[in-house]
Amino acid sequence: MGPLVLNGFISSNWNLLIAVFIGMAFGFLLESSGFSSSRNIAGVFYGYNFVVIRVFFTAVIVAMVGLLYMGYFGWVNLSQIFILPTFLPSMITGAVIMGVGMIIGGFCPGTSFTAITIGKIDALVFAIGLYIGIFFFAEGYPFLEKFYLSANLGHVTLADVTGISLGWWALIFTVFALASFWITASIEKKVRKRIKDYKF
Amino acid sequence: MNRNYYILTAIMLILAIGTVFIHERKYTSELPASELLWDILQPSRFVTTDQVAKRIIEKDPSLLLIDVRPASEYNKFSLPNAVNVPFDSIETATGQQYFGNPGTKVVLFGDDGILANRVWILLRRLDLKNNYVMRGGLNEWIETIIQPKRPKQTDPEISFEQYNFRRAARLYFTGAKVVTGNMKKEKVVFKKRKRAAVAAGGC
Amino acid sequence: MNVHELNPKKTLGVLIVLVIVVIIGFLTMKPSRYDYKLNVNQSIQLLKDTSEINFYPYELVDVLNHKNKNVVLIDLRNKYAFGRGHIPGALSIPSFDLTHKKNLRLLKDYKKNGLTVVLYSNNQLSADGPWFFFRQIGFNNVRVLLGGYNYFLKHKNNLAATRSDNSYIKGIERFNYAKVSKSSDKSFELNQNNKPKPVIFKRRKREAVAAGGC
Repeated sequence: MGPLVLNGFISSNWNLLIAVFIGMAFGFLLESSGFSSSRNIAGVFYGYNFVVIRVFFTAVIVAMVGLLYMGYFGWVNLSQIFILPTFLPSMITGAVIMGVGMIIGGFCPGTSFTAITIGKIDALVFAIGLYIGIFFFAEGYPFLEKFYLSANLGHVTLADVTGISLGWWALIFTVFALASFWITASIEKKVRKRIKDYKF
Repeated sequence: MNRNYYILTAIMLILAIGTVFIHERKYTSELPASELLWDILQPSRFVTTDQVAKRIIEKDPSLLLIDVRPASEYNKFSLPNAVNVPFDSIETATGQQYFGNPGTKVVLFGDDGILANRVWILLRRLDLKNNYVMRGGLNEWIETIIQPKRPKQTDPEISFEQYNFRRAARLYFTGAKVVTGNMKKEKVVFKKRKRAAVAAGGC
Repeated sequence: MNVHELNPKKTLGVLIVLVIVVIIGFLTMKPSRYDYKLNVNQSIQLLKDTSEINFYPYELVDVLNHKNKNVVLIDLRNKYAFGRGHIPGALSIPSFDLTHKKNLRLLKDYKKNGLTVVLYSNNQLSADGPWFFFRQIGFNNVRVLLGGYNYFLKHKNNLAATRSDNSYIKGIERFNYAKVSKSSDKSFELNQNNKPKPVIFKRRKREAVAAGGC
């Protein structure tokens, strides 16, 4: 809870407790938007279900636009928001591995746990594999470290790199996201016609 | 398609277009301008030369003296253990390292209070706390600590105590010879008036 | 669409809440009446050139003679001190009221009309902070009276002669610090040799009481 702790309203000891509640809410939302079904996630790749894209893009554009407005009203100090440092080569590699894993396994790390809670065995296997992966990554970290931390661009935003203001970026992303909603909807329609036994 | 999807798309688009027109707030760690004047008008940042001298003599580890005059003048003379941060270099990295550290009290001084006070205002604007200004600066330092004036006999007891402290401080800072004898407020001697011989008579 | 699809009605509800929040934000936003116009570095540069920022006591002569009508004097002391005496023609704005809406508008008008605003207080130091503040928020017509009211009061009748006086000018060494602080400097001890003398209160002698009664 960045603003509350930074401004001294509550002590940093509350961080973990608040994280538990945020985690619960996140899990609930993942499950309620149908992410615990591996068909929904793998469906993005096969083109018959784009709900994942729509949910995440909705979350992104609402949060983005909302934060910009709140920053303008002076409710949130945008300069104090944590920005993940950018490591381009390792991030691209990681994204490819994660994407392939999501197509093969049908879960992303978070949704596999929500799927376990509703009793899916494949999710359990997925989570075990996840821990094995974590183990091997941790053991192999000395070999990977050089690549993992290469080309550190620091805490940069698109506005810093391009010089275009955040508002324009927000508009570009929103248009992109809204267009993708409509396009994916039409793709879904076409693909689902060809799949005869489509159900959840 | 559901009609609601059209509404959703329209609302989101309007909100996003709005973000282009709102100007971005420049976020700095600076104190808001509306609070700066209030802080400027508080006199709590001023410390006297006596307080500073006392802290130096006591070797207060939390005290950090900062000389805001140009380096050429600093090289000629400065207070013991003072660090030179010329007023035009407070924003540089070398200048910044001295300010805002928890547990240290920074006392700024210059020739007189004016320049140190202006530096204090800039530091306050940069939201750096625990800075103080030595009232009167080095001119007052010389006048009070190095060349203290003897109090008048009509002055209150406390100014004699102060004078004795300043003489001791002078000894500490200059290594001058001791002028023996403690200055005291001399006891006021009342002479008893002699009674005039009472004239005989009366009621 | 299927059961796991986003519910457009719910989404619409949430988005309307966001719109309401944004509207509330616009309604409750207070525009800041003033903000920094100079950054810290520019403010430091400003301090280097003192000719632009100081107002010398001898310059008051023209103001008091109504020769120089481009100057507005502002008294930053409290109303009580102002009532007891002030520079003729000065306007009283206690320093705590400087950023009130009304006063800020007044200062903006002065700036627009090209008038020079001279701030003064008892001494230079107490007017210096407000002066520096106003410079930083973009009032480049504000100056500070050197010496302050106390100096003015002392030299009221010979202001023109203060041109050659430098006792009110700050930022210069009054002593050769290094020399004075050396232990070999005897000037201090010499002054100290006269011993304090006890003060004796003398009662005036009573005149011999005249004999006599009531």
